[in-house]
Order: sequence, then C-alpha cells, then structure tokens
Amino acid sequence: MSSSSSVAVRRVLFVPLVAFAIVVLASAGSTQRPRFYSDDPIAREPESQDASKASPYEIKSIYEMSYNLFVTSGYKPSGLRAKEINTIDEVPDSNWFTNRIGTTPITPEQLTRGPNVGTPPDPSRWVLTREKTSGAHPGFTARDAKGETWFLEFDPPYYPEGATGAVAIANKIFWALGYNQVESFITSFDPGKVEFDPKATLRRPSGKRTRFTRDDMNSILERVAKNRDGTYRVVAGRLIPGKILGGYLFGGTRPDDPNDLVPHEQRRSLRALRVFGAWTNLTDLKAMNTLDTVLTENGRTYVKHYLQDVGSTFGMCNDEFEWDLSHEYFIQGDTTRKRLFSFGFALSDWQTIPYPEYYPSVGRFEGDRFDPRTWHPQTPTTAYMEARADDAFWAARRIALFNDELIRAAVRAAQFSDPKAEKYLGDVLIKRRDKILNVYLNAVNPIVNPRLDAGGRLTFENAAIAAGVAKGQPTYHASWMIFDNATGATKPLSSTDGQATTLNAPAGLPTTAGSYIEVDISADLQAQPTWKEPIKTYFRRSAQGWTLVGLERLPDQVDPAHLLEHEKKQP
Amino acid sequence: MRSAYLSTLCAVFSIALGVATGARAQTPEPTRSQAIEQEQAEKAKDLHPYVLTTTERLLNKFEDITVNGVMRWHPFFDSAYHGSGFSPGVGYMAHVSPYNLLDIRGNYSILGYKKIEAEFIAPRIFQRRGELSVLGGYREATQVAFYGIGTDSSKDDRTNFLFKQPYVSGLMTLWPRRKFLLLRGGVEYSQWTQNPGEGSFPSVETVYTPQTLSGLGAKVNYLHTQGTLGFDWRPASGYARRGGYVGVSLHDYADNDEQFGFQQVDYEVLHHIPILREAWAISLRGLVQTTSTKSGQEIPFFMLPSLGGGHNMRGYESHRFRDRDSLLLQAEWRIMVNRFMETAFFYDTGKVAARTRDLDLVGLTHDYGFGVRFHSPFSTLFRVELANSPEGLKLVFAGSAPF
Repeated sequence: MSSSSSVAVRRVLFVPLVAFAIVVLASAGSTQRPRFYSDDPIAREPESQDASKASPYEIKSIYEMSYNLFVTSGYKPSGLRAKEINTIDEVPDSNWFTNRIGTTPITPEQLTRGPNVGTPPDPSRWVLTREKTSGAHPGFTARDAKGETWFLEFDPPYYPEGATGAVAIANKIFWALGYNQVESFITSFDPGKVEFDPKATLRRPSGKRTRFTRDDMNSILERVAKNRDGTYRVVAGRLIPGKILGGYLFGGTRPDDPNDLVPHEQRRSLRALRVFGAWTNLTDLKAMNTLDTVLTENGRTYVKHYLQDVGSTFGMCNDEFEWDLSHEYFIQGDTTRKRLFSFGFALSDWQTIPYPEYYPSVGRFEGDRFDPRTWHPQTPTTAYMEARADDAFWAARRIALFNDELIRAAVRAAQFSDPKAEKYLGDVLIKRRDKILNVYLNAVNPIVNPRLDAGGRLTFENAAIAAGVAKGQPTYHASWMIFDNATGATKPLSSTDGQATTLNAPAGLPTTAGSYIEVDISADLQAQPTWKEPIKTYFRRSAQGWTLVGLERLPDQVDPAHLLEHEKKQP
Repeated sequence: MRSAYLSTLCAVFSIALGVATGARAQTPEPTRSQAIEQEQAEKAKDLHPYVLTTTERLLNKFEDITVNGVMRWHPFFDSAYHGSGFSPGVGYMAHVSPYNLLDIRGNYSILGYKKIEAEFIAPRIFQRRGELSVLGGYREATQVAFYGIGTDSSKDDRTNFLFKQPYVSGLMTLWPRRKFLLLRGGVEYSQWTQNPGEGSFPSVETVYTPQTLSGLGAKVNYLHTQGTLGFDWRPASGYARRGGYVGVSLHDYADNDEQFGFQQVDYEVLHHIPILREAWAISLRGLVQTTSTKSGQEIPFFMLPSLGGGHNMRGYESHRFRDRDSLLLQAEWRIMVNRFMETAFFYDTGKVAARTRDLDLVGLTHDYGFGVRFHSPFSTLFRVELANSPEGLKLVFAGSAPF
C-alpha cells in the first residue's frame, strides 16, 4: 500500500471512529432516561415537597362559567396520553385519587358505608353557625349535639328525599371509584331543637353580616321539603380538616403546590369524570364543586384534593323545570343555531324523553335513551375535552366492577322511603352502566391483565367479553420482541397466535435478570375492528420470572378518532 | 506507523468506552419516584400564588358587584314616560339597614324626557310577607303623542304635548301566604301640569281647545289611591315560561279642585302555556281598562287609557289610541333558543272605546311581529322586536318583558 493510500485508509477509519467515540461520550453524559425505572410501575405518586405555602384561590362562578362555555367549549384536545398514569396505564394512588374498587374487594356493606369512618351526627340538637356557602340546594352550617361541625343540605320541595339521596349515593360511588369524598350521613333536622350560635351571622344584601335569626332559618325552611312530623330530612357533610384553599381547576397546575406537576387536564382521574359523570349524571362539573385543603400528617404538609359536591347527580338538577341538563351545555352553538333557524321544530332529545314523574325522590334520570357519547355537563372542562378512548376504557373498567348488588347497595344509602324509587334508580344505574361498558370497553383493544410466567406462558383477559358486551371468538395474536430499555430499540423474535387467552412465548426469550421484552397483543374479531390495534406490553425479567412493567393501550399521541369529543359529534 | 495509528484509534475508542462505562457505573440507577421528586424539588424553587388574568379580574369584579355585593352605582333606563326613546341614566343605591335601601336615580332621554326620583324600599316587612316602597320624584315628558280620541283617530293627526309631574307615593305589596295571593295598596300625591309639546309635530293646543279636549292646559293635583287583588303563580314576573297571573286593580284619582276626578279599574289575565318542556311557550294576555268619571268631573285627555307602544300594541307608536276604556289581547309563541335567549312571534290586537260595552271584538286594531329576547332566569334583560301594523313597520327596543 502506498503512503498516499495509507493516509486515505487512515482518514476513512479515523473519522467514523472519532464520531463513534463522540456519540458514546455524548450518550454517557446525556440525561436520556431509560424507558422503565427499577421501581416501575409505581403504585403511589410521590408528593415529596412541603406544600405549606399553598394559598387560597377561589375561581368565581361567572368567570368559570363564561370561560368554560365560551373558551373551553372551543378547546382543541391535544390528543396526548394522560400523564397521571404509571407505566402499566393505571392511575397510582395520590392525594387526588386512591385505588379502591378493583384493587381491593368492596362488599355491599363497605360501599354503603363509603368514606364514613367517624360516627354520624347527633341531631338531638343543632346549633346554627352560618349559612351554607356552596351547592345548589339550601342548607346551613351547624354543630350537632356533640359539638361537631357539619354542612347540612335539604331537599327542595319538588324532590323530597331526592337531593339528599343523590348526595348519599354519589358520595359512596365516587368514594369507591377512588375520589376523595366528604363523610356524609342522612339525618334529621328538628327546628324545635335548634339553637343559634351567638356568633352566627348571615350576609345581608347590604353586604354586612348580622346576627343569624330564627326568621333567617325559617326563610330557608320555607323553601325545602318538610316531613309530616314537622322535621326535615338533611344530608350532613362532615367538616373537612385542614386549611381550605378553594376548588381545583380542571386545567393547568397549582402554581403554589410543588407536588402538583401533572397538568390537571392530563390527569386521567379528572378526564374519567366524563364517563363517571355520564353514568351518575354529574352535571354540575366545575371547580366550585371541588376543594383543595392543606393537611399536615407525620410532619409532611401536602394538598389534598376533594371532589366535594357530587349532589348534582341522578337528575337532581337545580330546578325541576330544567330539562336540558345532561343533554347540552348551558349555551351550545350547534343546538342554539338549530333551534334558532328551525323555530324550535328541530327537537332535541331532552324534549321527548319520558321520565318517571311518579317518583318524586328521583329526578330526571333514565337509562333507555341514555347515550354516554352524547352526555354533557352544564359546562365543559378542559379535562372533559381531553378525554381519550383509553381514559374512557380505564373508567369503564371501574364501572364494570360495580355489579348489580353493589349498585343496589349504593342506592340503599339514600334511605328512600319508597322502595319502588330505590329499585328504579338502581335499574337505571344498571342500564347506564351496561351502555357505558358496551361503548367504551369496545372502543379500544380490551385486552387486560397480561401476565407472563417464568415458563413463557402469556395469559390475559378480554374485558369486553368478560363484561358480556362483546360476543364471538377472537383470534389473539402476539408479536414478541427483545426490548432495549436504554434505547427503546426492539429486536423481533417471533409471533404466536391462538384462540385462547393464553399464548406460549416463542423460543429465545432472554433469561438474564434485568432484560426486557415487548409483546404486542391484538385480537381479531370481525365485529370489533378496534381490537386489531395491538396493546404494547413490556415485561422485565428477574430471578423470579417476568414482571409486567409497561402497558400502552394507545400511543402517546392519538388521532381525533380516539377522542371522546370527536365521538360525541358522531354518535 | 500503521500499527501506531491503529493503537491511537484503539486508545481513543477505549477511552470513550471507559468514560461512558465509568459514567454509568458512578451514577446509581435512578427510580421513577426519584425522577418525579426531582421535578417537584425544581418546582418548589419557583412557587407563587395564582395570577389572575385581566379578564378574570374584571369578571370577578362584575360578580362581586352584581351577585355578591351591592351595586351602588347602577344604570337606570326606566324612562319618564312611554315614548321617551332611549333613556340612559344612572342611580346610586345605599342600604340603610341590612335589607332596606335608598335608591336615588335619574335619566334623560334622547327626546328630552327627564326623570329624577328617590325611592326607599323595605323588601322584607311583616316577616317577609310584604314590601314597602316610598317614592318621590319629578318627571317631565316633552313630546307625548296625542292622535285624538278613539280607535278611528288618524296617524296623520298627531300632536304633541308636554307634562311635568312631581310626585310622592307609598306602595305596599303583601303576599299573605308568601306566594300566589297578592294584595297591593298605595297612595300617591302628584301634580300633573300639561304644557305645549315640543318636537316636530304640532303642539296639542294648536289643534284643540279646552272645550274640545278635556284637561288641555290643566294643572291637576291628584290624590291617587289604589288597591290590587291578584293571584300570581309565575316563577318570576320579569321572565316566565309557565304560570300565570290574574288580577284586578282599582284606582281612584281625586282632584283637589274636583274638576278631573275619576276612577279606573284594570282587569288583567296572563297565562304562559309551556309546550314540549318549555321549548315553546304560548303566552296569552288580556287587559281591560275602564274609567268612570266622578259626578260633574271629567277625565283629562292625558290620563285616558291608551294603546300603542313597546308593551302593548307594538306595531303602533306609543299612546297611538286613547279613550275612556281599552281592550288589549296579546298572544306570543315563544321559542327557547338556549337558556339565555328566546325568539317570539307575536300578535297584538285591541281597541279603545268611549263606553265599556263597546269593548267587544269588533273593529279591533292589530299588529304582528317577531322578536328576540335575552334574559336571565328571572328577568328580561333586552328585547328587540320588529312589529308590523297597518301603519307600517316599527322596531321596538326594551329592557323588560312585554308581559
């Protein structure tokens, strides 16, 4: 080789080798993170920082309503995957959400008790301390005979037992679903056994607070349902401990809470309220019905987030003549135009739905014409707009865990005097549950609970078939790959198929601890085209065997077809 | 040389690999929890309270004033008299006790009508069974229309007159059962002074004389007493799509000089019939006003019942028809557009007559039209209507319900 050719060879070799070295060095110094950490999937969202500096903020109703009606309703969903989830597509426990139903068995008795851990109020004497400051129905803040403070809410005269019953039922359901709930009890209020705290005041039209009088109490009692014996049925909510900060927003984060990292519209627990709301008809979905408090426990100060007022459920809307609730927003462009130009002849659903007028304790709540895809709260929230099909699937799986017995147990919490009303409400919840499962368990690939045993046998379940909302025998298909956790690169191994929900792994699975594989699982059933889109599952090898560390039902970014807001327009 | 060169390359490669491996070996593998905690620690360095946007701050202020607080300074559009045109004004309201308030207000219309008055309102008397209003003020209407007496009067015969009226009154409304049954009683002392009218139409005294038109140029001091018995089952009088009202009001106008004393009886029936869950409402109203003179006295022309204007015969000018008695029948087909907006097709018909027995359905005047209304659950905030009558098209702007 000549000298000149040797130089050329050197140059040819030198350049790529130096480049390789630079890449290696750069990768060593970079902050690129592995796909899965050693503690994945996490079961609890860490809240490591002191949140004592969080300060009260109350969004006001006119601003919130205007913003949601005129800005949020035109919000373009990002299509991004929820961020409040761990690597296996589940919502970890946090100060927002606690996994209950589905994680631990809940008995009917536990559900009827719900969040209540303390003793109920002693209604033998009430000492009124001030007016009720939130919620649609009239009430007071009062101390019971034991001196504990409660928020009392009455029934409107046109829905005796209805408003209080709705709070009692929804309180148990949302507790079981995982939301922080206030302890609530159905109890009684006897005006003859009422005293007035000398410091109790009421805000007057003049703006001043003056002494709370018996006439003030009477003016409220005149507007509520009265029992035959002169007493009143109330639902009593226990005072929430901690420093009250006000409601949480359904978008953005608290700028004063260091632990609040996930934008609220990307919290699956808040997106899922679109589905839970449709099931229970939680129409008054807004920040004012939520509550943040600052709590200190074990030397740690954190913000706890309550879904505080769930009383606008089961048709217990603000007024007995508000028929359009749950069918459209307070103001909605398309229905406004439709009615304006048709002079009202283009009828909306709510104008013709038959409701059971003969159960005064049940509001406008039915299951026959219910369609979860067209359900509307009074005003949209950003989280509601961002909900994706995988969020709805997650929510539907939780609803599926409410069997008929549990649903009827929740309804029993209302303590309706009319057993027929109780049965009707339970029947409707069951019908609405089934419709939700039918829509949302089939909207994406419903394969759940994948496990891979040490012998290489992959087992899973089909949530839609298990819930009875899909029929047929699908063919399952699994694509097996070696997965590089550092780079995300995959190396195909093989594929296996079968009609059972157990598939054997191909030969060549890694055996060293710390290695990863990816298995993409799809199902082929003619009636269910969405099942063909595979879920991606990831397993980590350890000395004991394979552990599921990752599950991706839909990609990080989806097209509009996977957005609930898109589905709503094409039911 | 070649091997030396390769050695150099190998050394570079080895160093690179060594550095990389070393870097990884020295950094313990982080956990998901640690990664999140690190982000939380970063955020903790830059905490701050919520920052309100300008829009939020403005809307909060609006809510504080209109919903939660006391709107001390407030707009005031209630005109001095029908036909005044747009009457912008302002008022100042102050509570004198937790519920009782004093409101001082005034406005000035584009036609020069003016009103200034002060009202004391006690809205919760007799254990929330009554409301008391004490009102005192002055108003001046500069170009009130007068077309002659009777339904047969001609649009081309319009004349204008002016009146000035200082007044002081007390009015008490009682709901003995807090709903449905309504009792109202009141007394007013006022002085009506009728003067030549302003504007582009002839003044009334250029066409009529005191002999041909009762009360022309008169200055009358009235002691006006009134009583109403009504049943009101509407959700709110300011805006309703269901319910109704039936009422009778008796008015006695006693003239100090016993020249122009008379009595008036108003019969009103109003019913809203909701259809398809209030998506539509058929709203009907009937109003009969009858007057009777006291012995040897006359009713001045400017006190006669009248029809025409934005609240009754909407296709006609204000006070288009005047006579001793009047009959008004109105029907509306109200169409809900959304919770804050409705449209309506309407039809108004009526007549005025010299005798009560002539208030029949013969020879009625009529109009029809279409309107758009913006409303809250309890009140009509703004209404614009286009009405057509044999006398042409008329555009109505109003800040209250037609009925």
